[in-house]
Amino acid sequence: MKRQVPLVLCFVFGIAMIFTRFSPHSVSQWIYEEVISWVLIIGPFALVLATVTLIQTHTTRIRRRTEHWQYSLVVFAGLTIMVVIGIRFGPQNSIFEWLYNNVQLPMDATMFSLLAFFIASAAYRAFRARTFEASLLLITAVVVMMGNVPMGDFIWNSIMSWSPWADKVSEARQWILDNPNLSARRGIILGVSLGVISQSIRIILGIERSYLGGGD
Amino acid sequence: MNMDRRIVFILVALAVIIPMLLSVNLPVSVSEPTQKFYDYVEALPAGSTIMIAFDYGPSSLAELNPMAKALLKQCFDKDIRVIGITLVVDAPTLVSDLIQEVAAEKEAVEGEDYVFLGYRPGDVQVILGIGTDIASVYDTDYNGTAISEIPMMQNITNYDQIDLLVDFASSDTIESWIIYANVQYNQKIAAGVTGVIIAQMFPYLQTGQLVGLLSGILGAAEYENLVGAPAKGMQWINVESFVHLLIVVLVIIGNITYFIHRAREE
Amino acid sequence: MDFWSLIGIWVAAFLTLSIYSVLYQDNPFYRFAEHLFVGVSVGYGIVLSIYQGFIPFAWKPFVAAVEGESSSGFIKLIPICIGLLFFARLSPRHTWLIRYPIAILIGFGSGIAIPNVLRANIFEQTRGTIAPFAAIHAGTLSGWGTFEAILMVIGVICTLTYFFFSVEHRGPVKWLSKVGIAFLMIGFGSAFGNTVMGRVALLIQRVDFLLSDWLNIIS
Repeated sequence: MKRQVPLVLCFVFGIAMIFTRFSPHSVSQWIYEEVISWVLIIGPFALVLATVTLIQTHTTRIRRRTEHWQYSLVVFAGLTIMVVIGIRFGPQNSIFEWLYNNVQLPMDATMFSLLAFFIASAAYRAFRARTFEASLLLITAVVVMMGNVPMGDFIWNSIMSWSPWADKVSEARQWILDNPNLSARRGIILGVSLGVISQSIRIILGIERSYLGGGD
Repeated sequence: MNMDRRIVFILVALAVIIPMLLSVNLPVSVSEPTQKFYDYVEALPAGSTIMIAFDYGPSSLAELNPMAKALLKQCFDKDIRVIGITLVVDAPTLVSDLIQEVAAEKEAVEGEDYVFLGYRPGDVQVILGIGTDIASVYDTDYNGTAISEIPMMQNITNYDQIDLLVDFASSDTIESWIIYANVQYNQKIAAGVTGVIIAQMFPYLQTGQLVGLLSGILGAAEYENLVGAPAKGMQWINVESFVHLLIVVLVIIGNITYFIHRAREE
Repeated sequence: MDFWSLIGIWVAAFLTLSIYSVLYQDNPFYRFAEHLFVGVSVGYGIVLSIYQGFIPFAWKPFVAAVEGESSSGFIKLIPICIGLLFFARLSPRHTWLIRYPIAILIGFGSGIAIPNVLRANIFEQTRGTIAPFAAIHAGTLSGWGTFEAILMVIGVICTLTYFFFSVEHRGPVKWLSKVGIAFLMIGFGSAFGNTVMGRVALLIQRVDFLLSDWLNIIS
């Protein structure tokens, strides 16, 4: 009941999706559409998992008075305000939208923009041409970086104004992306996809069961 | 050479602030993937329908909002109808505001020229669900209007009536669109993506699984250039130049000091 | 500009600077903003998931089934009940029940992935690698195009060899693998260059906000 039924469900739904993909029969198409409508319904409930985990984490921090536990109260304050206003008045309520536009949006955008500083610092400290491979990585990164901005071509064209070759940095960047980069990415895509397919077969056949978690 | 990393931070900040105040304006050339994207949209006749998946949240709006704006302007100018959706939970307010802003500028009418259907959870099932029947996934638009009451949706039931799907993506949603919408329903797809995932898009571009590609803020600037509506993309790519130059200089200085140090040790 | 828009800009500017303050060192302003961000964004996600997920996919079909609006409505009660099993997470004794909906979602995802990933990522990518040789055979590809086509095949084979661990990397395999590493380094270098562009763009957008919307220094 605890393990066998989920394994059977996984097998049935997995096999159903494979067979319906290859059969144009009306019954097959009905099953296909019905399964999609089922997973569309089941999917949103997974939100419960994320919310419960977050609440448990911060409740534990407050209860145990761990370092900076007071900030967990800020998490709950933010969450409560958004949920109360949003659920009561809907996501298009002006206060809810104001909070999104002036609190969530700027913080989200700023948080990720911090990486610009760290990436510059890391490039200065760690980007060294120690080996042949590291040199390849470094040279490619520099060409792509300069090819990505108009300054790259501007500098090139200023220095090489006597030559017939214009806009060569952006062209070099494009060539790298279109050729050696493409080959490497394709190799990765092929490798990862073979892994995805074999893992999917293992899951459907019940060989891979880690998604069931621990316990009996 | 040991340098406090906060000095690097200050240099980066100055490399952004000073060019922004000076308003530098260098010419931007157009790359082939961007040109392909633009040409494909330009070739669509008036009355065609584009579905745009705005699959990004506030953390990527800097890169994707400018290109989304440029595309929306092109669509409204050419009388191409736009269906907006998103697979990202923190996007709807952002996207709704963006579409309304461009629509107001171009005097596009909601429900006739464009509609924003909003967010639905579950990437793969939503993509497949749209293939069977859009109404099975979106029974209303973002405002709560029944889809059956929206004029432009009267003859649109699934991908068969959508001439191009554009995914503005900050994550692997673009691969889901390719794997499920393109393969299973033969849906033509173009993409505008963030810098982080640009490099992995090129195999799909070469096979034709993507008909065009906009690469981050550079793609946005190029597209603004093509559409003839220079805006934030053009402005920011010029500022970006100085930061890239700074990073390249820092890398060179770092390597010179490294080799000097290594030579001394030997 | 109305009062609330003005307040909004000042709040956004304060929170933006609070987060940037971490660049100097960790401090209470940053920790406050960081935790507020987590709470607010999860709250927003919950509200949107309810209004754009639960209500259209679960609540409306439930009401339709109960009120008998649809003949097949009762079938929809089955996935709704299965979805409700996620709430078993709240009870340690019954947590195992969440395996049912998870198994269905995983089974569906795996089943639909096999044929589609096979076609999109194996067949199409292999076709893309071989297709230029048809053009070479037909004599429609230039000398440079032929070089690129050969380079692509070498790159793909060598990259795959690097990831192929079923044989020991010795002799010719070792050399193929080494060439594969070179291609991978160029791929990662491209990714790095583009990632820099992406992250810097985010910074520029925030500085643009501070200088134009908040301080009104630039238009």
